[in-house]
Amino acid sequence: MVPAVETTFDRSRRRRRFWNRTLQGAVPYGLIAPIVVVIAVILGYPLYWLVKLSTERYGLFELIRHSGTSIGLDNYRSVLRDSIFWHTLLRTVIFTAANVTLTMVIGTLLALLLVRVSTVVRILLSSGLVLVWSMPVVVAVQIWYWMTNYQNGVVNYALTKLGFGNFFQHDWYATTFSQLSLTTLLIVWGALPFVVITLYAGLAQVPRDLVEAAEVDGARGWRVFLDITLPILRPILLILTSLSIIWDFGVFTQPYLLIGQSKIVPGNYLMSVYLFEEGYFKSDYGRGAAISLLMLLMVAVLSVVYVRKMVRIGDAQ
Amino acid sequence: MKRRSIVALCLVAVLAAAITTAATLGATKKATASSITVWLQVDAQSGWPGVVAAANQQFQSDHPGTTVNVQYQNWGDHLQKFDATLAGGGGPDVIEMGNTEMTKYMAAGAFAALDKTTFDNSANWLKGLAASGAFGGKTYGVPYYAGSRVVTYRTDLFKKAGIKKLPATTAQYMADAKLLFAKNPKKGFSSVYIAGTDWYFAMSFVFDYGGGIATQVSGKWKGLLASPQSIAGLTAYKNFFLATSRGSKTTDESHPNAYDVYAQGLAASMIGPSWFNCCVGKAYTPTTAQFVMPGHVKGQAIPGFLGGSDLAVPVTSSNKALATDWIKDFTNTSSEKGLQAKGNIPNATNLLGTSINERAAARSWFVPTAKHWVDVENGNILRNMLAQILTNKLTIQQAASSASDNIASVLNQP
Amino acid sequence: MNGRKRGRFARQTGWNVLGLAIFVVMVFPVFWMLSTAFKSNEQIISLNPTWFPLHPTIQHFRDAIHRPFFWVDVKNSLIIVSVTVAISIVLAFLAAIALARYRFGGRKLFIVLVIGIQMLPQAGLIIPLYVVLARYHQTNALTGVIVTYMTFVLPFSVWTLRGFLLGIPKELEEAAMVDGSTRVGVFMKILLPLMGPGLVATSVFAFITTWNEYIFARVLLNDQSKQTVTVWLSYFSGSSRHTDWGALMAASSLTAIPVVIFFLLVQRRIAFGLTQGAVRG
Repeated sequence: MVPAVETTFDRSRRRRRFWNRTLQGAVPYGLIAPIVVVIAVILGYPLYWLVKLSTERYGLFELIRHSGTSIGLDNYRSVLRDSIFWHTLLRTVIFTAANVTLTMVIGTLLALLLVRVSTVVRILLSSGLVLVWSMPVVVAVQIWYWMTNYQNGVVNYALTKLGFGNFFQHDWYATTFSQLSLTTLLIVWGALPFVVITLYAGLAQVPRDLVEAAEVDGARGWRVFLDITLPILRPILLILTSLSIIWDFGVFTQPYLLIGQSKIVPGNYLMSVYLFEEGYFKSDYGRGAAISLLMLLMVAVLSVVYVRKMVRIGDAQ
Repeated sequence: MKRRSIVALCLVAVLAAAITTAATLGATKKATASSITVWLQVDAQSGWPGVVAAANQQFQSDHPGTTVNVQYQNWGDHLQKFDATLAGGGGPDVIEMGNTEMTKYMAAGAFAALDKTTFDNSANWLKGLAASGAFGGKTYGVPYYAGSRVVTYRTDLFKKAGIKKLPATTAQYMADAKLLFAKNPKKGFSSVYIAGTDWYFAMSFVFDYGGGIATQVSGKWKGLLASPQSIAGLTAYKNFFLATSRGSKTTDESHPNAYDVYAQGLAASMIGPSWFNCCVGKAYTPTTAQFVMPGHVKGQAIPGFLGGSDLAVPVTSSNKALATDWIKDFTNTSSEKGLQAKGNIPNATNLLGTSINERAAARSWFVPTAKHWVDVENGNILRNMLAQILTNKLTIQQAASSASDNIASVLNQP
Repeated sequence: MNGRKRGRFARQTGWNVLGLAIFVVMVFPVFWMLSTAFKSNEQIISLNPTWFPLHPTIQHFRDAIHRPFFWVDVKNSLIIVSVTVAISIVLAFLAAIALARYRFGGRKLFIVLVIGIQMLPQAGLIIPLYVVLARYHQTNALTGVIVTYMTFVLPFSVWTLRGFLLGIPKELEEAAMVDGSTRVGVFMKILLPLMGPGLVATSVFAFITTWNEYIFARVLLNDQSKQTVTVWLSYFSGSSRHTDWGALMAASSLTAIPVVIFFLLVQRRIAFGLTQGAVRG
């Protein structure tokens, strides 16, 4: 009830309430402030640099003198007119789709498997996944190459001995399809641990009482999964899918090292390799910046569906 | 209870950050007059640390109060690091560059000009190395050391095959290869293990017949691979490969490494740098020796690719005079003799000894000193040409013409 | 009753067998790395693969440890990684709470910023990042690397933790608030325990990503006494001469140890959380 005349006590209460509400409203800003500050301070200039350089002719000569010549959108024009760019884009989209699908499907199945095995096997399997995860990529590539090289790779040896045919000195790196398939296997193998362990952690959030209640109601395993587990896992699945798309689209080390510099040709370029070869290896930083920003645009388009869903889930709550 | 542990965790994190900040902020070393920074590849750290130490000692006795901070780099990414320092500062005062890496940076003005005459033995610098450090009439790189290619072979297998004298021509070598194959029928065995796309070896044939890769005619680059001499050389290479090697026609010289094939007992000889004899396996080390690869004319070695490194002073250095003095100390006669003792080729002809490595360097070839040569290498133009020739996908004439035009257009880019 | 129990036991044995089979296949390359570290040089390049070195040699491990600056670089890596992960997880968690539980202006913009940064190819950032850090004298300093790593770890941590938070039904918190507990109390008693697995998974990922990061550490750190263990590892294959594979595999095996220890320490949180949550799904 508002009194006819405001006393000093009422005014101070109103002030207190105003400050309380402001402080309350300021809480989320306070929570995100440190991150915004760090990112702005560290990445602010690099982002500006990328945008600025993409409109300039900027090679080694300009790098040393710290200044380039403005050429407007010529860098973009030259990239977009390059047929190699478009072929590479198509190849990378297919490559990304294959990688992400394999990773998410196998990852989900493995996470569900982790739930069902006994504790000993679970710790063994998850530790094994972490061991895989912890291998430096360069070392993993080298091991993969040893296992698959035509001269004395164990894969050829095992396949021949197990009777799958004669794989003596079979060169797994002879065709583009073979090269990229092996790269896919390597990447999926390395990506599974993160997906499996994160999904498993997500499964941990499914409240037991909900599951038991559903089972009391007579629901069977698959129904429980679809009706109870999946909705709760949905945000995490969306996150993992969107992250996988982003990472697999821009993956560089595995294809570059596994196929090997001497076998990299425009016919087996992936976007990040294209960026490296056409931009940074040639010290054409302007072109490299343009390609980087175009890649940013591409992957944003590819992942927009999942990102939007993620944002909307938050809104619905 | 949980709240306390969370607060404690946050405090620890912040404290750790503060401590590391305090500890490392003050310790950032800048190259001042009291110290210079030298970038050498890690080959020096493991191969000839004594030479580096001696040069540092010499430098420090001439410049008391100035310390030398040697930082070792990897071949794979030292240029990425260098580029970052060119843009942001904090770079070295002396940098080791591969001889094929020099031209691009010299053309961009990355290095300070040096007075050639103030360095030891500069009048006798090996031609291939000296060319890699010169641009527009000025000297920007000082030859550091070189390496050539030799034949490493199994003395026992050669003896068993009845080869009494080492081959003096490529024709003789091909005949000897037949004898080696006869005595070693193992699957995958090569009399001479050569990787199909080993362009360093293949181009030796091209130069042996008087051909070339590219040459500059009034400022424009012209491809030479389609000239009759080059074609003759490529034909000779193809014949030599088919007669002596069972290595893959499409793979490069590090997949697999030749010395691994040799150590597995699948090669009677191999072509490569002289240090290949380090890794031939315990079983074959006592019966391994080296000889100079012959050319097609008797008495003449085949021209070998002269690999090597130069030392340069980046234009961003604030201690150019001190940097130059350090290079003088590191490339003077006694240092070069030290490098020679470790199996390298010294940088001047008057210092050359009689090791196989050095004898092979008597006839050498080098890549065109063009700003965009690295693009030709990265684009695998020569490798693809060789693969096409060996697999008969294209005739030698077709493959060479297309590669030649390709190379010319890449080199002629602005 | 007995029949049902036997059925369940048989089923779990089936799953266990499958789990073990998958373990063998997944871990084989790691096993290959470890066994190579114990093989002699002859066995490593031999045409007939040596599946299990019957006469293991520890020479490679000795060679690896005696390379200069090993222990110093391990220490540097541990400092960089633990500080980065500790600060990043805390900051990311706070930001994730803001995103998942509050409505505020600029929320969508922040989300776009967070996800957008991950879409940038890192190759393009090397030189400008170096220029920025050089201006603040943060090159050749552990703090420069820490701050750089934070900018890479924060986005996906925020993104992932937000997802985990969204999986926790708001009703739980609201019920607790109705029961009279404060906002902070809700945070402690409800959110934190349920977020345990999510925090652990995210911090393991942050740990591994920063532990294995190479190119930024290479470009930013000059003195060998300040470098990380991944840079130390790169010297094995950095020269123009042959690579000592046995030593490299031994060295890699050693660098994997802290990661595995970290995981074994925290994995109990995930398993523990699971028994609180659903067991069958």
